This record gives sequence, C-alpha cells and structure tokens, in this order.
Amino acid sequence: MDLTPRTSETSRKPRRWLPIVLLSLVGLGGIVIVTQFLTSAIDYYCNVDEIGVRSGCKESTRLRVQGTVEQGSLQKTGGKTSFVMSFNNKSINVVYAGDPGGVFQECISVVAHGRMIDGTFESNRIEVKHSNEYAEKNADRLNSSGSAACSQAQG
Amino acid sequence: MSQVLQRTSATGTRATKVIGALAILVMVWVVVSGLILTPQDVVQGESVRIMYVHVPSAWIAYLAFIFTAVASASWLISKKHSMGFDRFAGASAEVGVMFMAITLITGSLWGRLTWGEFWQWDPRLTTTAFLFVTYVGYLAVRRLEGSAEQRARRSAVVAMLAVLEIPLVHFSVVLWRSLHQGATVLNPNGDVKMDDLMLFTLFSGVVAFTLVFVWLVLHRQRTMLLVDIANRQGLDAAIAARKTEGSVR
Repeated sequence: MDLTPRTSETSRKPRRWLPIVLLSLVGLGGIVIVTQFLTSAIDYYCNVDEIGVRSGCKESTRLRVQGTVEQGSLQKTGGKTSFVMSFNNKSINVVYAGDPGGVFQECISVVAHGRMIDGTFESNRIEVKHSNEYAEKNADRLNSSGSAACSQAQG
Repeated sequence: MSQVLQRTSATGTRATKVIGALAILVMVWVVVSGLILTPQDVVQGESVRIMYVHVPSAWIAYLAFIFTAVASASWLISKKHSMGFDRFAGASAEVGVMFMAITLITGSLWGRLTWGEFWQWDPRLTTTAFLFVTYVGYLAVRRLEGSAEQRARRSAVVAMLAVLEIPLVHFSVVLWRSLHQGATVLNPNGDVKMDDLMLFTLFSGVVAFTLVFVWLVLHRQRTMLLVDIANRQGLDAAIAARKTEGSVR
C-alpha cells in the first residue's frame, strides 16, 4: 500500500473571496449610510413657523422648509416661481428660480431648499410632499374649485 | 441517497402549481385594475398606479424578513437543529431582498414624478436603504465558508438582529420628519382616506404578491434542499472512492 502523503494541492479548496468582499462592502455601505446620511435624515426639514425659533433652523444657514403653498399666491414671471408658504399661521414668501414642474400646485405641502435673504426664502430646489390621502380625479370638482390639491383639501 | 435525490429532483408539487396558477390569476386582475379600471389620483394623476406595486412589495419584503427571523429562531431553539428551518430562512430572505429591491426601484420612479427627485436621504428612504443593505449582508453571510451548521448559526443570529430594523423603517415617518408620506392603510387613526377601488386593487396586489412570495419560497427552499443533498452525496462518494482506493492497494 502506498502511504505517501498526498500533496496538499489536490485537496485544498480555494478560498471563496466573493462573499468576504461582498460582506466587507456591505459593512462599509452601512457605515456610510449611518454616519453620512442618517443624521441629516432625522431632521429632514423645519416647518415655516420654526425658522429662527427651533434649534437647527437658524435663518443664517441653508434650510429645508416645509409648508403649504397658499391658494391664490402662486405666480410665474420671468422664469421665476413665487408663492407664499405657510404653516401654523406663519407665512413666508418663497422665490424659486425656475418652474418646479411635476405635481407642484397650490394648496399642496412642499419642502423648499434654500436660504432666507432679506425676508424672502430664495430656493433652488422644491420637493412636493404628498399627503397620505388618495382620491379620484374629478373634472367637475376641479372646475369649480381651482387646483386639484385645493379641491382635495376642501373635500 | 441517490434515490432521495431522484424523488425530490422536481421542486414543484400539485400545491405549488395551484398557488402559481392563483398568483397569475390575481396578478392579471391587479394589472387590469391598476392600469385601466382604477381612476387617476386627484393630485398625482397617473403616477398613483405605481402604488399598486410599491406598497405590496414593501409589505411582502417585511413579511419575508419576519419569516426569516422566525425560522432562524426556530433553528436556534429546536434541539434537532433541523436544516429545514435554515433553508426556509434563507429562501425567504432571498425573496424578501428581491421584493425590497422592487420597492426601492418603484419608489424612486414615483419620487421622481412626485417629489421631483429619484432619491432623498429622508428618514424612510434612509432606513429602507439600510434594511436592504443589511439583508444583502445576511445573504453574504450565508455564503461564507464553513459547514451547513455554521452557516445556519451565523445567519440565524444576523437574521434575528436585522429584523429589529423593520419597526424602525415602518415608524420612521411617525418618529421623524420625513418627505415620504405617512401610512395610509396602517395609520394610527384607522381612518383610511383612499378611493374604494384603489384600496381594493391595493389589497389585491398584496394577495397577488403574497402568492408569488409563497410560490418562490417553496421552490427556492426545495432547490436548496437539492443542493444540500448533492453536496452530501458528493462527500459520500468521495469517502467511498477513498475506501475503495485503500482496499485495492
């Protein structure tokens, strides 16, 4: 009987690196998400009535401000969109350089990114914050009460 | 062993065929109702139709991850450490990750149409991304080197920790200020403000996706069983060959 030890090359399985690399990347991704994004995510916006009042909502810094576009305040002139945004009986004038597009309209909640300059909020990004209500589009209601969001808000 | 392999070489049964057929039927209804019968939303217009895929896929992903945790706990607790629990946990997590990916993709498309952005690092989106990454990590852990028992033990611990993220994701819109809207169906007030046909189609989507989930998990865990059997068979064959080799010499 041949009792010569077998060479290790024939029995050794190659190490499976792919799961280890994938796991390392996942760990790295998790750390990046937690350290870079979760902190800013927790306080995503300040409400209109909190500007200059709440911690982290200083007028001098770049802000994300949430409020409702007041009915009848929306104007589009010279490539700019201006409107009044209100929340809890406080209002600010907002000027956005461009057309927000999408479902942006009066009576809808929005988050505007920008800075307070001379009492006006100059925004370079508008995000529509959709409510958790879903209703059928009704042409008659739209004709009688203006924009879609206002008709939904009025019931 | 080869007899076992032959007996179980197909992953389908009469039950899975029935489940598959039902899944197709309900899915056809969801497609017809979601794309044709349901009305446009008063604010979102046509983009509301994404909801019939986005919301059910998110719920089924949660369900899949909860099943993974329950199966993992069952494996840890049971004295026999039945590998069936481990295979079910792995299969459920794989399908859950797929549904979570669908949730993220459809959510991004909806976000572009409604918010004007594909992605924002708001609380709901950030925690969802974190949940997705965690379960991709779970699947990577399952593929690390080691015996089947080591795989089961490691992944069970990860699964039981990872499932704790689900309440964080779901309640992120309540706990923190989020761009993502609050829950419509599972809202704390219980007052569902949604058109009746929209709501019915949404629940039909949940039923359809649940059937797809069950069908996929049953097939996947049987495929895993076949792989385990084949691996064991390969080991047995190697031992037998070595014994034969020894006796000849």
